[in-house]
Amino acid sequence: MDLTVSCLSHVYPGRKTRPALEAVDFTVPSGQFVALVGPSGCGKSTLLRLIASLIQPTAGRIEIDGGLTPSQAAAAQHIAWMSQSPALLPWLTARDNIAILRRVLPEGTRLRLSPDEALSMVGLEAAAEAYPFTLSGGMQQRLALARLLTLDSSLWLMDEPFAALDELTRERLSQDLLELWQPLRPTVLWVTHNIYEALRLANRVLVFTPQPGRIAADIDVPLPYPREEADPAFQQVLLQVRQALSLNRNQYEAAHA
Amino acid sequence: MKPHTPDSSARAALIIVLVFVLLWEGGVRLFSVPVYLLPAPSTILLTLAQNASMYAQATLLTVGEALAGLLLGVLAGVIIAVLLTLVPHIEAGVMSLAIMIKSTPLVAIAPLLTLWLGFGVLPKIIITALLTFFPVLVNVISGLQRVDGALLDLFRSWRASRWKLFLYLRLPSAVPYIFAALKISAPLAITGAVVAEWTGASGGLGRVMWLAYANLNLPYLFAPIVILAAIGISLYRLLAHAERRLVFWLPSSTVE
Ligand SMILES: Nc1ncnc2c1ncn2[C@@H]1O[C@H](COP(=O)(O)OP(=O)(O)OP(=O)(O)O)[C@@H](O)[C@H]1O
Ligand SMILES: [Mg+2]
Repeated sequence: MDLTVSCLSHVYPGRKTRPALEAVDFTVPSGQFVALVGPSGCGKSTLLRLIASLIQPTAGRIEIDGGLTPSQAAAAQHIAWMSQSPALLPWLTARDNIAILRRVLPEGTRLRLSPDEALSMVGLEAAAEAYPFTLSGGMQQRLALARLLTLDSSLWLMDEPFAALDELTRERLSQDLLELWQPLRPTVLWVTHNIYEALRLANRVLVFTPQPGRIAADIDVPLPYPREEADPAFQQVLLQVRQALSLNRNQYEAAHA
Repeated sequence: MKPHTPDSSARAALIIVLVFVLLWEGGVRLFSVPVYLLPAPSTILLTLAQNASMYAQATLLTVGEALAGLLLGVLAGVIIAVLLTLVPHIEAGVMSLAIMIKSTPLVAIAPLLTLWLGFGVLPKIIITALLTFFPVLVNVISGLQRVDGALLDLFRSWRASRWKLFLYLRLPSAVPYIFAALKISAPLAITGAVVAEWTGASGGLGRVMWLAYANLNLPYLFAPIVILAAIGISLYRLLAHAERRLVFWLPSSTVE
């Protein structure tokens, strides 16, 4: 599912002097895995929330799937949104946390998987009857991922989904995610603070400036999977992203000196 | 140090009560306190045993009134809280009305209700309901509205209808708050029923206490206090038990 963002700006009420996003433009073709990186507070979460139509932009347009507004796309269940918090219902078992989709989603919504199929895709079949508070942080995030896979959506908005996990769990989970992504090929917007993670997963990296967020650099990652950090080509893209990030930090510091 | 288990803390509570009773008994005997000032625990227990069927009858009536009033108050509190959540713009109006009712002293309403409705059980039930409804209302409103932000966003990203959001997210989130309210309201219900009976009734523990007070018969006055304390503790423990079963996902908030 393709996505076009044109001249998108957002100012939160009561923060008139400091826009969160300013005139952001980009286009994502269907099936691309895009990593969004940038300093804290530059508006990455805001961008994802705008696309998920959790909030409305103050200016600009977002078009999904060749002309749908975010709220039309969301109503058609094209969009799946996931954040750093697993957001599980504590009173339901793992299986029921997925099964609840049937009840909560509008009548007649198509689902891709049954709860048990979804659990086995993330390796949680043994935990089907467990309550979330008995699961580790990594397992909770897997469960949230299983729930996302259940939705028949082709645009995944993932706001630092594994940021609260330890390095090792996080690497394993993002590897698993990549394997789930490859056959389905949804369009992914993946917010992260970890440049290595961005380069292991994404086809493209959008680097944002400090607040107000604008696009500082648009970097292609033309590397085959699985990616090797030792690969000189990997190192080269890494350098490019690093430079874009520090370049705009320097500009920011100069402007605010 | 020994681990702090429910069992060991129950034992500790029992020991504290026992020590208190023994000190009381010993004090009364040592200083020969006259019975019309402070009866000894043994005297109170004797009175209780000698008039067991009379007290049992009065207790049944009082507890019946208290539970009926509590049920009414809880239902009213929950229903109004739900309405206020589904129709938010009436909240300010209804809340000021509720606070008005809450701020009117019980001793002012009780005689009035007795005057209007007689010496039967109805005014007692109404007073108990009025007394218990406010904590329920306030707590359930908090519970329904203070829903985890990430979950709220998730439901909104699914385009859940207002009704489904309520049924599958807000209502279950409010259950712990309902228990918090019940733990305040249940003891209030007992107090409410007794005070209502005190202002005029044909039976019940409040009536017995009023008669005993009028005759300065202190053992008769103290016996119902023992009964009321026992009921209060049992109710609280029952609620705590139900809470642990139903709100299993939160660490226990109850001191036992
Ligand atoms: N609900 C809100 N009300 C007012 N201001 C907000 C709100 N949410 C975010 N902001 C502000 O908007 C700016 C962008 O926030 P946002 O959360 O999008 O940043 P971010 O890039 O996701 O940061 P991080 O990397 O730390 O998650 C910040 O200055 C933040 O303080
Ligand atoms: Mg963020």
